[in-house]
Amino acid sequence: MLILKAIAGEPQHGWAIAQRIQLVSRNVLQVGQGSLYPALHRLEYKGWIRAQWGASENNRRARFYSITAAGRKQLDAELENWLRLTSAVNLVLEGI
Amino acid sequence: MLPEWTSKLKFLFIGKSRRDVDDEIQFHIERQIEANLAEGMSIDEARLQANITFGGRQRTREQCREERPSFPIESLARDLRYGMRGLLRNPGFACVAVLTIALAIGANSAIFSLLNQALIRALPVRDPDQLVVLSYAGGHPGHTQSSGGNTPGHAHEFSYPMYRDLLEKNTVFNGLIAASPATVGLVWNNHAEAVPAAVVSGNYFETLGVLPAVGRLFLASDETAEGANAVAVLSFDYWKTHLGEAPVVGKELLINGTAFTVVGVSAPGFHSTVWGQMPGVFLPITMQRVVQPDRAYLKDHQSYWLDLVGRLKSGLSPSQAALALNALFIDLRKAEFPNLRDHSERERKGFIDNAHINVDAGAQGFSPLRDQIQTPLKIIMGMALLVIAMAVVNVATLLLVRAATRVREFSMRYALGATSGQIVRQLLAEGILLGIFGAAIGLAFTPEALRLLIHWMSGSFASQPAFSASLDYRVVLFTIAATLVASLFFSLAPAVQFWNPRLSDALRQQSGTGIGGLLRFRRTCVALQIGFSLLLIVAAGLFVQTIRNLRNVDPGFETDNLLSFSIAPQMAGYSQSAVTPVEQRIVDTLAALPGVRSVGATNDPELVDDDINGDVIVTGYTPKPDEEYDVELPWVSNGYLQTLGVPLIAGRLFNLSDTATSQKVAIVNESFAKHFFGTPQAALGRHLSRPHRPATDSAIVGVVKDVKHVTVRFPAIPTAYTLFSQAEKPTGLTYYVRTWQNPLTAQNGIRSAIGNIDSTLIIDGLSTLNDDIDNNILAERTIALLASTFGAIAATLAGIGLYGILAYSTAQRTREIGIRMALGARRNTVVGLILREVVILVAWAVGISIPIALLAARAIRSQLFGVSSADPIVYILAMLAIGTVATGAAVVPSRRAATTDPARALRSD
Repeated sequence: MLILKAIAGEPQHGWAIAQRIQLVSRNVLQVGQGSLYPALHRLEYKGWIRAQWGASENNRRARFYSITAAGRKQLDAELENWLRLTSAVNLVLEGI
Repeated sequence: MLPEWTSKLKFLFIGKSRRDVDDEIQFHIERQIEANLAEGMSIDEARLQANITFGGRQRTREQCREERPSFPIESLARDLRYGMRGLLRNPGFACVAVLTIALAIGANSAIFSLLNQALIRALPVRDPDQLVVLSYAGGHPGHTQSSGGNTPGHAHEFSYPMYRDLLEKNTVFNGLIAASPATVGLVWNNHAEAVPAAVVSGNYFETLGVLPAVGRLFLASDETAEGANAVAVLSFDYWKTHLGEAPVVGKELLINGTAFTVVGVSAPGFHSTVWGQMPGVFLPITMQRVVQPDRAYLKDHQSYWLDLVGRLKSGLSPSQAALALNALFIDLRKAEFPNLRDHSERERKGFIDNAHINVDAGAQGFSPLRDQIQTPLKIIMGMALLVIAMAVVNVATLLLVRAATRVREFSMRYALGATSGQIVRQLLAEGILLGIFGAAIGLAFTPEALRLLIHWMSGSFASQPAFSASLDYRVVLFTIAATLVASLFFSLAPAVQFWNPRLSDALRQQSGTGIGGLLRFRRTCVALQIGFSLLLIVAAGLFVQTIRNLRNVDPGFETDNLLSFSIAPQMAGYSQSAVTPVEQRIVDTLAALPGVRSVGATNDPELVDDDINGDVIVTGYTPKPDEEYDVELPWVSNGYLQTLGVPLIAGRLFNLSDTATSQKVAIVNESFAKHFFGTPQAALGRHLSRPHRPATDSAIVGVVKDVKHVTVRFPAIPTAYTLFSQAEKPTGLTYYVRTWQNPLTAQNGIRSAIGNIDSTLIIDGLSTLNDDIDNNILAERTIALLASTFGAIAATLAGIGLYGILAYSTAQRTREIGIRMALGARRNTVVGLILREVVILVAWAVGISIPIALLAARAIRSQLFGVSSADPIVYILAMLAIGTVATGAAVVPSRRAATTDPARALRSD
């Protein structure tokens, strides 16, 4: 879900995705850089993201991942799920 | 979900190259290094930190690979490749295992194919599930022409008027068809032969949805009026095999001397609604008189001869249809009743009150042949399954032996980090490989085996067998299922062993006295094999005994040097009045042939499952109330009883003074005389006749001994012989020619003599009576042959299994034996040691399987003749056979053990 969200705006390459997640979460979430790639590949095989070779910001060959329509749908579904779960947990916490 | 699958499928074929992944990781790390440098680290520090944050590169690579959709397939392929290498490393083992499986799978596929054709497959027509077979309960006074298959409450033959009424007044069918089998004389291109035929209603093909291969098939307009529809449809097979696919539409052929125009050929694959009947030609029902000139069935309410099959309207169940149809059926019967001869209350009860119609699902058609062969087929299938069980156990034993030698290999792999799952997967892959190879070979030979079997089962019958040697998808599915189940079983046997071997134990198990659990498991396997083969050998013994008994049955007359064949002059277009004179001429001509001792003829051939019976009125005998006593009523020639050699007990045989115009005479057999008169002498001079047929009144002039008639299986039945020359009407006859020498040498003389009388006469089924009897017990012979084959295979497999385990266990015990011998044990003692093991094993197996065999044999009781299912001799012989096989298997290992050199044995390992 995090990966999907990270590339929802624009195509990114692997390193940027890792950085972004780390940055946005203010270093709380540290995606193991090594395990990022198998996860990316899994998402690609599922057809949720697409990979293309392109030029990086310093003009080197890098693999850019972008979200597909199916991925967007999946992201929406997961987000909704997540919100439902967290709000439920919140409710419980407040109730106690 | 769907896009996910298509995406996976796409990547299954393209995948990602290793280099792509490497490049990606490389880029990531370089980018990290740059970032680190930007933070002010030194170049070395930056590189180190980048590598640390990324983690193990190799691991990432592997994980990426495992994510590939094709990964499971790749690993399966790797397992298979490895398994293949393993099998090739040990070709002897692989060959034995594959051949064992091939044998078992081949046998099973062949037998299942027969079972499928006879019992499972639906008729090759449109929507066979809508078809229903009609039958009824209730009396049917009059004449019934049946091809068998009737059970109490299920008579399958209807009259033509009843059929028409049901057809026109029913509300449940989208079509109701009628058919009746017959044999006709067919002349095409001046070549005459007897051909199985079917007389069918005009809507037959249309209702079934059978299409023409050539021309057109029958229409309702081919069933207009009696004798008015001289058109014929040929079956595809007959057209192909007998007419060479010649252009036939519009051509004429002769059926029983009457010209018919061929309108078409039916679609390939379709034979009849009755499975097992293979008519070569279809004729409209209105032409019945041509097919059976001596019977006028069409207008007669009391002639029952038509099999009815209906196509239910959609949404109706057979029971709903039966309910609706029953009211109509009873009404029709009520209307018929006043026309019956007998109007007694009892007759009324049987004809109307107890009558009802049955509508049974008929996707596979009605079939007397099926009823007859389904039990034998199921028995054979059961035996084939036993063989496959044997094969599984056998291969499992072989695999275990092999696995035992691979303990070190597997322990090593565990030590290197393989999981139990991976090891089991590897073993399964090897097993399934074996199974696939075996099944492929087995399946490849199945059609050939089938052809052989079918050839065997159809014996020397000229007619086409109902089975074909082709495999359909069900057989292939069955084979695949059988292979998978079998492979699973035999490959899991060693897998269980390696599920979680304690590593240290395994590594220590290099010698010693054998692996306890493993050995016990294999002993069980061998005991199972012995048990299975005992079952099969007992079955084989029972069937062989049955065949011997059937062969040795004394029918009451001499069957050697006796030739039989049939001629129906009607098939050559003889008018009714010309039939009897030509038949008399045939008898006289044959009797004058050189090498012929005597000649007889009958309309009711001996020992071929035929019978012609009815009730008789006997003077001076008052039937008990409700007595229904049918007797056999053959019409014979003057010299018939003399030719067969049926001994006379009282009075005289027929002779030349009995002519067509003299006093009608009859000769009865002992059973007949006993039932009606008590003693043979009392029968002489009495009269008998058929009910309501005073012209049949005949004086009894002689009494003969009983002879078997319908088949050698059944006891003799009460019989009254009368002369065909004095009979009410002419009929086709079967001739019996007693020769001095080998009867087959007389064949050509007989053919040319009959050709001289009239070349259009068709000689049907010229064979010796002994061959006829052999054909009559063909089902039993086939079972006996298959059971013996299976029994032999089973015994061999059990022998191999026993040998394997003994060879292995004695090899394992070399050191123990060496110590025993060093301590003074003699060779005999050592041999005794091994043999004792065998005896105990066999005794256990036999002790457990004998009661099972006794129980199982009860299931095949109906197929036995003259031998009890618990026949002690058969069981003792079977045990002896197993004992012999076991001893044979034990000889080599025990001798090897006995020649163990103690010094060397102790030094080994």
